[in-house]
Amino acid sequence: MTAVASALRERVGGLLWFWSIGAFRRTLPWLFLAGLAVFILGPLLSLILWAFAGQWFYPALLPDEFSLKWWPVVFGNRSVVASIQNSLVTAPVVTLLSAVICLPAAYAFARFQFPGRRALLLSFLSANSFPKIGLYISIATLFYRLHLMTTYWGVVLIQLVGTLLFMIWIPAGTFRGINRSLEEAARDVGASGLRTFFQITLPIAMPGLLVAGLFAFLAAFDEAQGTLIVGSPNYITMPVMMYTLVLNYPQPVGAVFSILLTLPSLVLLLLAQRLLRQGYLAAGYTL
Amino acid sequence: MALVLPPFCLLVFVIVVPAAQAVLSTLRVEQDGHVVYSLARYAQILHTVSLYRSVAFTLLVTLASAAATFVLAYTLALYLRFSQGRVSTLLGALFILPLFIPTVIASFAMVTFLQNHGFVATLLHYVGVEEMPPLVFNAVGIVLTEVWASIPFATLVLLAGLQGIDDALIDSARDVGAGAVRTFRAVILPLNAVATIITLSLLFVGILGSFTIPYLVGGNAPQMMSVVMTNYFSNYLRPDVSVAMAALSFGIAALAGAAYVVGVSRRERGVV
Repeated sequence: MTAVASALRERVGGLLWFWSIGAFRRTLPWLFLAGLAVFILGPLLSLILWAFAGQWFYPALLPDEFSLKWWPVVFGNRSVVASIQNSLVTAPVVTLLSAVICLPAAYAFARFQFPGRRALLLSFLSANSFPKIGLYISIATLFYRLHLMTTYWGVVLIQLVGTLLFMIWIPAGTFRGINRSLEEAARDVGASGLRTFFQITLPIAMPGLLVAGLFAFLAAFDEAQGTLIVGSPNYITMPVMMYTLVLNYPQPVGAVFSILLTLPSLVLLLLAQRLLRQGYLAAGYTL
Repeated sequence: MALVLPPFCLLVFVIVVPAAQAVLSTLRVEQDGHVVYSLARYAQILHTVSLYRSVAFTLLVTLASAAATFVLAYTLALYLRFSQGRVSTLLGALFILPLFIPTVIASFAMVTFLQNHGFVATLLHYVGVEEMPPLVFNAVGIVLTEVWASIPFATLVLLAGLQGIDDALIDSARDVGAGAVRTFRAVILPLNAVATIITLSLLFVGILGSFTIPYLVGGNAPQMMSVVMTNYFSNYLRPDVSVAMAALSFGIAALAGAAYVVGVSRRERGVV
């Protein structure tokens, strides 16, 4: 056995001869970085080029001519404009509703001990332990009976599903991280329970809550699968519109609209960069 | 306690009730005028060639995507945990990016990147490669896009797990003479087991239930279950077949879900 193993090791070691070259081991991380950069950034770069391409024929490395001529085409399309409006009146409402429903619960999970606490906290993972599309189809059959299909509130409800986990777990992690003695000190000098919450707990928790809100908003704004099933053909949001544009329109149209659709995410990402670096997101993941 | 009720009721209304109803309604079959409970509908699905193929194709693509993402994400997480320096900083900024790109856009970007006469084909043309296997509108395209979209999530969870491992344990393993591979196998891998289970099962279920990527990047046949389900629901107006497929996907996911819940509750109890 050992003879076989050592022979094998020698053989593999022989194949991996380059491993002993120091230069190779030093450049390996850079190669990994370069490979990942091409894989992750390549598709995005190709998309951005398409959005500003007037004409682009194979095998040119860059578009034959750069132009903005596809942008008016996108903005001139009435259903595109309607989808932008629909998205803007849905996602913020979903985020606020989710916060109103979930934040008190998140606080309770972090601060109080009650029977079934752990089981209830875990139950909010159930949205993620179902295959999403199967769940949406099951919800849609229920919505048919309740006449919620192709309505505004039907879409709001289906988008709420994806925000629950963010709005409970990240804030619960944040509340739990706040030192209890700060709250007790406020109570000691005579502040009421509500006053303590709004003047002490809430300001300290705010960055974590903002991160949760950010992710809930993006989850609602980018939700396409459930909205397609429940909302179409009457209530089309931007990501659902994207399906139509990708499948039925010239490539640059889809590319232009992609940039419009990514813009909110990227702006929010830049705004929240400082918060994200402080580990509030990780707090939610490690909970 | 009352504070917890509103989101829990919502959860029951949008998840528990529809899911239970889907499973129950597919088990209820009319036979000679009587309503009986049987698995007849599922048998019917697996006997329809196109649906059976779709189930097999889905399992294959889902497993391949989850495995590829896992290997890449683990490598990334290990590097980010144990290396400092410029490469680490750059990787840390790079891997998180897909989290902020909507899946619809990721799929479309992949199509423009990989398609015949697309960006990759052009680059290969300049190094003299003219023939390449089709990379998009087939299983390969779906796997590549699923990996692209899942990397941030998988890496974040694995990294969070790795960061919970005390440096002293690793140092002591190295002190008694363990090499990098041995340290990884004997110390890091077991200590990170819970994060590993969570990542794998959530990856599996997430990819199983994804619609956008197979819809836009996949081919015409075979299609993944999510696309077939949606077609039967919206286009063929056969919600019964669609719901049965949905319930079948719940069954497949239940296996992965069980592993996941066990993993999480072990951590909640503070075992690891």
